[in-house]
Amino acid sequence: SRSDRSSQAKPASAMSSDSASTNELSPELRVIRSLKLYFYETFFFMKKMSFFFACKYLAKDVTYICPFIGALRGTLTVTNYRLFFKCMDRDQSLALDIPLGVVSRVEKIGGTSSRGEVSYGVVCKDMRNLQFAHRQPDDTLKKSIFEVLMKYAYPISNSLAFFAYDYEQIFPENGWKVFDALAESKRQGLPNESWRISKVNDHYELCDSYPSTLVVPVTIPDEDLRRIAAFRAKGRIPVLSWIHPETQATVVRCSQPMVGVNSKRCKEDEKLLQAIMDANAQSHKLFIFDARPSVNATANKMKGGGYESEDAYQNAELVFLDIHNIHVMRESLRKLKEVVYPNIEESHWLSNLESTHWLEHIKVILAGALRIADKVESGKTSVVVHCSDGWDRTAQLTSLAMLMLDSHYRTIRGFEVLVEKEWVSFGHRFQMRIGHGDKNHTDADRSPVFLQFIDCVWQMIRQFPTAFEFNEYFLITILDHLYSCLFGTFMCNSEQQRLKEELPKKTLSLWSYINSQLEEFTNPFYVNYSSHVLFPVVSMRHLELWVGYYIRWNPRMRPQEPVHQRYKELLAKRSELQKRVEELRREVANKAASLTSERAGSPTRSITPVQTFV
Amino acid sequence: GNGEIVVNEANFVRKCIAAESSQDDLWGKLICTNFKISFITHNSIPQQKFQYVHHLLGEHDIPLACVDQVVTVNDAKGKQKVLGSNQKLKFNPTELILYCKDFRIVRFRFDEAGPESAKKVCLAIAHYSQPADPQLLFGFEFAQSRQYGSSGNIIERVNGVDPGGGCQTPLFDRPSDWDREIKRTGASEWRVCSINEGYTVSPSLPEYFVVPASMADLDLKQYACSYTGQRIPMWCWNHSNGSSLVRMSSICDVQQQRKLDQRVSSAITKSHPQRSEVLTSDLDKTLPSIQEVQAALIKLRQSCVIEPFEESEEKWLSSMENSRWTEYVRAFLRHAVEVVYMLEGKRVSVSLQEEEDRDLCCVVASLVQLMLDPHCRSLVGFQALVQKEWVMAGHRFLDRCNHLKKNDKEEAPLFLLFLDCVWQLMNQYPAAFEFTETYLTVLSDSMWIPVFSTFLFNCPQQRAEYSREFVHSKSIPLGNEQALKFPPVWDWSQQFTLKDQTLFNNPLYVGKGATCVQNGTVKTFRRTKQRNYSSTVRGVPSALKNGLRGDVDTLSRRNSLVARLRPDFSQAREVTETPCERFTREWFSRPTDLQGLLLPQLLPTHVTLWRLYFLRWVPEASISQGGAITAFHKLSLLADEIESLQNQLRQYNTSGGVGGTPASTPNPAHPEHGRMYFKCTPSPNRAASTPEYLSSSFPFSPVGNLCRRSILGTPLTKFLNGAKIWLSTETLANETV
Repeated sequence: SRSDRSSQAKPASAMSSDSASTNELSPELRVIRSLKLYFYETFFFMKKMSFFFACKYLAKDVTYICPFIGALRGTLTVTNYRLFFKCMDRDQSLALDIPLGVVSRVEKIGGTSSRGEVSYGVVCKDMRNLQFAHRQPDDTLKKSIFEVLMKYAYPISNSLAFFAYDYEQIFPENGWKVFDALAESKRQGLPNESWRISKVNDHYELCDSYPSTLVVPVTIPDEDLRRIAAFRAKGRIPVLSWIHPETQATVVRCSQPMVGVNSKRCKEDEKLLQAIMDANAQSHKLFIFDARPSVNATANKMKGGGYESEDAYQNAELVFLDIHNIHVMRESLRKLKEVVYPNIEESHWLSNLESTHWLEHIKVILAGALRIADKVESGKTSVVVHCSDGWDRTAQLTSLAMLMLDSHYRTIRGFEVLVEKEWVSFGHRFQMRIGHGDKNHTDADRSPVFLQFIDCVWQMIRQFPTAFEFNEYFLITILDHLYSCLFGTFMCNSEQQRLKEELPKKTLSLWSYINSQLEEFTNPFYVNYSSHVLFPVVSMRHLELWVGYYIRWNPRMRPQEPVHQRYKELLAKRSELQKRVEELRREVANKAASLTSERAGSPTRSITPVQTFV
Repeated sequence: GNGEIVVNEANFVRKCIAAESSQDDLWGKLICTNFKISFITHNSIPQQKFQYVHHLLGEHDIPLACVDQVVTVNDAKGKQKVLGSNQKLKFNPTELILYCKDFRIVRFRFDEAGPESAKKVCLAIAHYSQPADPQLLFGFEFAQSRQYGSSGNIIERVNGVDPGGGCQTPLFDRPSDWDREIKRTGASEWRVCSINEGYTVSPSLPEYFVVPASMADLDLKQYACSYTGQRIPMWCWNHSNGSSLVRMSSICDVQQQRKLDQRVSSAITKSHPQRSEVLTSDLDKTLPSIQEVQAALIKLRQSCVIEPFEESEEKWLSSMENSRWTEYVRAFLRHAVEVVYMLEGKRVSVSLQEEEDRDLCCVVASLVQLMLDPHCRSLVGFQALVQKEWVMAGHRFLDRCNHLKKNDKEEAPLFLLFLDCVWQLMNQYPAAFEFTETYLTVLSDSMWIPVFSTFLFNCPQQRAEYSREFVHSKSIPLGNEQALKFPPVWDWSQQFTLKDQTLFNNPLYVGKGATCVQNGTVKTFRRTKQRNYSSTVRGVPSALKNGLRGDVDTLSRRNSLVARLRPDFSQAREVTETPCERFTREWFSRPTDLQGLLLPQLLPTHVTLWRLYFLRWVPEASISQGGAITAFHKLSLLADEIESLQNQLRQYNTSGGVGGTPASTPNPAHPEHGRMYFKCTPSPNRAASTPEYLSSSFPFSPVGNLCRRSILGTPLTKFLNGAKIWLSTETLANETV
C-alpha cells in the first residue's frame, strides 16, 4: 500500500503561507508544520479524492480524554506513519498528530462501559500519555483502533517496514553526506606524525559496532589492534575521538578491559595506552576516566570485565565518574514523567523534581565531561574514556567534552557531525535504547541515554546563550525525530547494520531536513568565538529542568516571551534605518554635487566622490 | 568633606581572598569610619578585569548599615564571638568576619596587626554598625555637609539633587506631583487633599494624598480617628476604565466599622464613572506575614551563601522549596493578578486593606500598577511608583532594614521581595521594562547605604522630625530651609558615573515611542495563528487538574493503565474555573502587548530564583564568559547601532534642505551619549566577541567574597574537588563567650 507521502501531492504553497507564524504555534502543531506533511489539509483533500491508501483506520466519534481540557469528540485516523485525532466539537479546534514511532505502549483500559465504549491508553516516548474511548465495532470481524494501532506502531514486531523506507521528499542537500570520517579527521589535522588512520575495521571484522575508519597511534600495528580487540569488551579498542589542535592532547574512547577476577593483562593494550601518552609531548601522564561508579566497575570483574589496574598501566591515573547505568536512568525518567505529566504539583514542585534525581544525573554527566575537558585543556593531558561497553556513557562524555573543547561542534553542521561521529558511527545502540517499532515496552535495554546528552547540551546553551549556532528548537526537533522513525538517522544499532540495511540509500537523513531550513534552527545571539573552551558551571544552582521539552504538552506552560523575536525586530529596524540613512546620504551627496556644479557653472554631470559618513 | 570621619583603624591587616591559601590575600589598612568599613590596599585583586566605580564606596568598602553580623575569631584559642554594640571582647581576635545584608561575607586576618589595635577596630566596627540613635546614621552628617558644606554655607541644590540629574522622578511630596498623576491616569473624580499638612491628622501618611472628590475634608478628619494609624483610604491609581485602586488600614473602632465602610465605599463608587461597586481585598488574610517573609530570606541566605557549596548541592532544590521564598513571591504575584482581574476584568474599584497599610499593601499596590500601567515599566515611572507606594505611603524602611539593629522582629525584606517580583515579570517579559536586573540589584543595594531619604525613614513625618531634631541638637543655622534635605536615591549620579548608569538600560525595551517596525515582514512574527488553537487549549483551569489527578496517578503507575473515564468532564471545567482563572487563561490566549496589561505565569516552573541577586557573590556559581549578560551584550551592540543610525537620520533631517555643507555632515553619535553600556564600534571586523570579563555575576565580582577561592584564574580541578566554605553554620552556632 502507498503511504502518507501521498500527502506530498499537496503543493508546498499551503505550507509556506503559514511558515512565518511557525514560531507562534504550540509545539504540537509545530511538529506537524515542520514535517511539512500537512496531513491536516490533505486529510480532507484525499477524502474527496477517495484516495485513501495510507489510512489504515478511520474512526468517527472517538473521545479523546484530554488531561487538560477534558473529553473531546472527534475523528481518529491511523496511517502507517501517524495517529491523527481531529476534534469535531464546534467550539474546540484541537488536533493531535503523533508519529507512531513515539508510541511506546498501547493498552486497553478496563472493560466495556455501559455505553458500549472501550477506552485505551497510549503511552508515548515523548513524555505524554493519551487516552481514547471508542464504541467497539459491532462487526466482530472489523478490527478495533486498538488492534490497528498495535499493528502499525510496531513494525518490527509485525514484520512490517518502517515508514522511513516509504518517506519520499526532495531536500536540497543529502544529509547522509554531512559526516565523512576522513574529512572530519582531516579537519582535526589527522593523520599526523603520531596518529594514523587504520583500515583494520574496514569490513567490521575487528569490531562490528565500531566505524570502519579508526584513528590509532602510528606505533601500534594492526595485528596488535586485533589482540587488543580480544582484550576489550565487544572488541571496542581505544581509538582517537578528538585531538587538541595545539597541545596534541587527545580524547580516546574504548570499552572496559576484560581483566576479570584474575586481573588478566594484555601487553599490547598497555603498549597502546603508553603510545597514546607518548603521542602528547606536553604531559607524562595519562588519565583514564571510567564513567561508572567504582562499585559497578568492580562488580564487572565478576563478569570478566573491570578496569585498568595502576600496576599494569604505570603512568595512568584512573578516575571513576560515578555515572549510573541505563537502568537507573530509565527509572529516573519514569519518575520524572510522573512528576511532570500531565500536571505538576505546584506546592511540591522542586522537592518532587529532586526526588526523580533526573537533574542530579544530568549534573554527574556534565561534571564528568567537564573534568575530561579540563584535563585536556588545562592539564594538556590525554585522556581515555570508557564505561562497560563504551557506547552509552562513553558517548555522552566524549561528545560533551568535545562540545566544550571545540567550537566547531557548536555550529549546526558541526553538531550534526558530532552526533554522527560519536553516537551514530561509534555504535550507540539507538534501535535498542529507543526500541523503534518494537512492542516490548518493558525491554530492559531501553534507556534515555541520548536524551540525557541532548539535555546536557540544552543546559550548556542556557549557560552560554551566545556560544551555540543552534537554538532550543533544533534540539527538540532532533529528539522528536529520535522517535518518529521518519528519517533513517537514528535507526539500527551500528554503522555496519546501517550499511547492510542500506539506510543511506533507502531512507532520508534528518540532517537533510534540518539543513533545508536552517533559519528556524539558528540562534540569533550566536557569536562565533572560535578556539574558545566552554567550562559550564556544573551545579544545581544553574541546572534547570528543560520545561520546553519535558512539560511542553501542558498548555499552561507558555514559553517565555521569546527574546529572539524582538531581536529579529531590531535587526529589521536596523536594516530599514541603514537604508534610509543610505538614501539620505546619496541625496545629500547629489545635492552637494549639483551645488558645486551650479557654482562652477558647468552643466556636466559631475561625478563627485561619494562622501562616506559611517 | 562629606561628613565622614575615621573612628578607628588597624594596619597590616590581611583581606582574605581565598579559603585554603593566603597567597592571593591583600595587605592593607582596615578603617572604620562613621559611614563604612574601608580596606585600603595597594595590591590589586588578582584576575579582576572589571570593576564598576562607586562614588561613595571603594572597591573593598562595606557601608556600616550593610553589616548584619560581626564575628570575631581567635583561632589559636578556638574562640569566636558575635559582637554586639558596646560589648566586651575577652580575647584578641585573629580574624574578623563580616556577614553582610547583601549576602556578602568578608573576612580579615590580624596575624601581623597589633593585638590591641585589632581588638579596637573590631569593637569600633561592632559599635558603629549598630547605632543606638537614628541621628548616628551617617545620612545625617552626609545631608548636613551636602547642604551646608564644610564651611557652613548653604550649597545651592534643588531638593538635595543636582539639577538635571535623576529628578525627573516625582517625589509626591507636593500637591502638583499628585495632580499630574491624577491627570495622567484620568482620575477626574479624585482630588488632592491637604488635611495632613504638618502631619496633623496621620503621622504615617504623606502631607498630600488623593481622596474621592465627593469627600469633604471635615469628614475625612473625622473618619481618620477610626482607622489604625489614622490612615484614611488613600488613592493609588486609576484604570482607564474608571475603576480605581485604593489602599487603607483597618478600622480599629469596631462600632464605626459598618458606617465607615459604607461611607467610604459609596464615596469611591461615586468616583467611578459607572458607579461600580468597591471590592475589598484583605491582604493580612491571604498573604504571608512579614515575619514569614523574613524567615524565608534567612533560610534562602543560608542555602545560597552560608552552607558549604558542594554539600548543599544534593538537597539544593528542596532547600529552595523549604525556604518558601519563591512560594511567597508567587503568592504576592498571584494576589496582584487577582486585583488586576477585578480592576480590568470586572471593572470595579478595589481597596487593599491591611492592618497598618504599610507593608503588604506596598507590594501589592505596586505590582498591580506594574502589570496594568506600562508607564510604571519605564525607569522614571518605576521610580515614581516606589516613591508613591513605598516612601510616601510610609513603608517603615528604617525598621524593616533594621538600620538601628534595635528590633530584629521588625526586620523584613518586603522591598527585596517586591524587587524579586519585578524581576520575575522582567524575566518573563524581557522587552517590557526600560530598566535591567542590574538596576534592580543596585537599587536593592542602595538600601544599605544610609544616606538616601528613600530608605532611611519609616515615613515622611519621621524624616521631617528627625532632621529637625538633628538640626536642633547640632545648632545648625537653618537659614531659609526648614530642615535637612536628604537626597533621594533616584539621582543615580550620586553613586555611579553616567557610563555605568547605562547598565540600567534594557536594549530590548519596547517603549511607547519605540513601537516595532511597521514593515510587514516584521509584523508577521507576531502571534496571529495562535488564537484558533490557543483559545481552547491554553490556560487550563488550575482546579481542573484536581479532578483529573486521580485518573492520572493510575495512568502513570508502572504496569497498569487502568483509569476511569469521567463522564462529567465538560461540566467539571465550568464549575471549577474561577472567573479570575478564566480571565488569565483568556489573556494568555491572546498575543501579548508589551505596552498593555502584563500577567505573570505563576507556575513554580516559571517563577525561579533570581540568580544575579542571590548568587552573585558565590565564586563557584559564577559562569565565566557566560550567563544572560552575554546575550545582553550582543543585543546592546545592535541597539547601539540602531541608536547611532537614528542619530544620523536626525542630523540629516535637522540639516534640512541645505545638506551637503560640512556643518551639517552627520557624525556618528558621541559614544558617551548613547543609551547602551556596550558600544558597537564601527570596525571592519564585525564579529564583536564577548568581553572576557563578562560572567553571570556581572557587573559584580565574586572575587574576595565568602573567603572562598574563586574559580577565575585557578585550576578548575581545584574547584571540582570541592572547595569548602570556610565557616559552616555549626561553627557559628558553637560560639564561645
